Amino acid sequence: MDITFKNVSYIYQRNTPFAHKAVDDLSFHIPSGSFVAIIGHTGSGKSTLIQHLNGLAIPSEGEVTIGDFYLTNDKKPKNMKELRSRVGVVFQYPEHQLFEETVEKDIAFGPENFGVSKDEINKRIKDLIPAVGLSEALLERSPFDLSGGQMRRVAIAGVLAVKPEVLVLDEPTAGLDPRGQKEMMEMFYTLHKEQGLTTILVTHSMEDAVKYADHVIILNQGTKYMEGKPEEVFIQKEALHKVQLDVPEMVQFLNLFENKFGKSIPFERQSIKEIAQSIQHIVKGAEKP
Amino acid sequence: MSNSLIIGQYVPGQSLVHKLDPRTKITIIFFFVFIVFFANNLVSYTLLTVFALASMFISRVPIRFILKGLTPVWFLIVFTFILHLFVTKEGTLIFDLYIFEFYTGGVIQGFAISMRFFLLILMTSLLTLTTTPIEITDAIEDMLHPLKKVKFPVHELALMMSISLRFIPTLMQETEKISRAQASRGVDFKTGPIKERAKAVVPLLVPLFVSAFKRAEELAMAMEARGYQGGEGRTKLRELKIEKRDILIYVLFACVIAGLIYTRNY
Repeated sequence: MDITFKNVSYIYQRNTPFAHKAVDDLSFHIPSGSFVAIIGHTGSGKSTLIQHLNGLAIPSEGEVTIGDFYLTNDKKPKNMKELRSRVGVVFQYPEHQLFEETVEKDIAFGPENFGVSKDEINKRIKDLIPAVGLSEALLERSPFDLSGGQMRRVAIAGVLAVKPEVLVLDEPTAGLDPRGQKEMMEMFYTLHKEQGLTTILVTHSMEDAVKYADHVIILNQGTKYMEGKPEEVFIQKEALHKVQLDVPEMVQFLNLFENKFGKSIPFERQSIKEIAQSIQHIVKGAEKP
Repeated sequence: MSNSLIIGQYVPGQSLVHKLDPRTKITIIFFFVFIVFFANNLVSYTLLTVFALASMFISRVPIRFILKGLTPVWFLIVFTFILHLFVTKEGTLIFDLYIFEFYTGGVIQGFAISMRFFLLILMTSLLTLTTTPIEITDAIEDMLHPLKKVKFPVHELALMMSISLRFIPTLMQETEKISRAQASRGVDFKTGPIKERAKAVVPLLVPLFVSAFKRAEELAMAMEARGYQGGEGRTKLRELKIEKRDILIYVLFACVIAGLIYTRNY
């Protein structure tokens, strides 16, 4: 589903002394099937932004369009439930939303609410358990007996079991160990490719954004600060520093390399291996002539 | 977040009412609650209303905000008024409508009682609007101090109060967060038959309790790790101190009480 924000503002506790504008005149477009990273410092409006994507927040001003759904301050869609079945949101620390007696029941909770048949749910659970890296032996256990990482996987399976077309991820790897982080991001990326999802990733990790996203939106104090392809955005060191963000390690490395050896390698979202090859090329090339 | 209920919500400010010692404010409101019931005629009511409205204006809390906060109690005030209108049969008959008879006494009584309600709620919400929960707890601990002689756990009570007050916003945030997550999984908290809505509370309450218990354990551990042992020999970061302005307010309030007793016999 295409997602469009047009001059969207969101004000918390309007008309009180505590009124606070969390999102301010924000406009962007996310084409169906893309992988977008939303980056910003704490308090930049990321969390408020993603709540607009499934109608948890209704814009105070401006309009949000998600597929055929249209959200403005005076017009809420009647079929909000359908919107929520098509946009899945994995919130920060999703393990906090677990409540059922068994893992299986908890994963089935979402699809049951959206009226998916029992057989279909069972089939989905069978497919999902290996996909999120759990074993079927856990299905009958209580989710509260699991480890933190396993709980997170169960919660994510619960969102994926609804089979959303748009997947919103709010720092899905926060608090996991490095290996778990990598596995989880790889899993989301595979799902994104296999099922043609539109994925929106809120993250602090420039590395993840470079690796997976094909479009980057940088927020600062509720407004859009920068937008574009990762290879265009992430080389603007000064502009990023201004909003307390850093360039990805890879770009830092290429900058250092250029300073030290006087040779520049353009940043094109290469993998570490590709960069190593280019360096090898330069070093060998320098030896030969 | 609940926008209408303001009891317990602090509005930061620098006014005289904000700066008063919390013990002064609590004492005055404690006695105000009593003397409201002594008012018995127009002059005495005017005196109390002037006092309450003056405190409100001096506090500089936006009036619109206070009125909005009163919305949940408007119903009670209006209901009391109407009840008296129908039930009280004193004074002269104004007019009768089939079986209902309206007397002047009913109007006066209704007005007086609703006024009492209004004044009580105005003053108490003014206390919480201008005093941080921590200040209130400190004041209560200090004021209950004499009870220590009869082995009443004053410090523990105050600690319990400040911990619960401290965690109200946290729990509210948590509630909001979890209800958002469950709403995204298709739970409908707002519409549908009551039975369904009651069921929808389970996915909200279970995670809330789990995290509350976990948080309590962590807090206890953190307090012990920092050597907390209870109230014995513990000093205070914020010492409460009675200033000149407090004495001034006490004197002023004493005048109000004296004036009230005097005007009662008008």
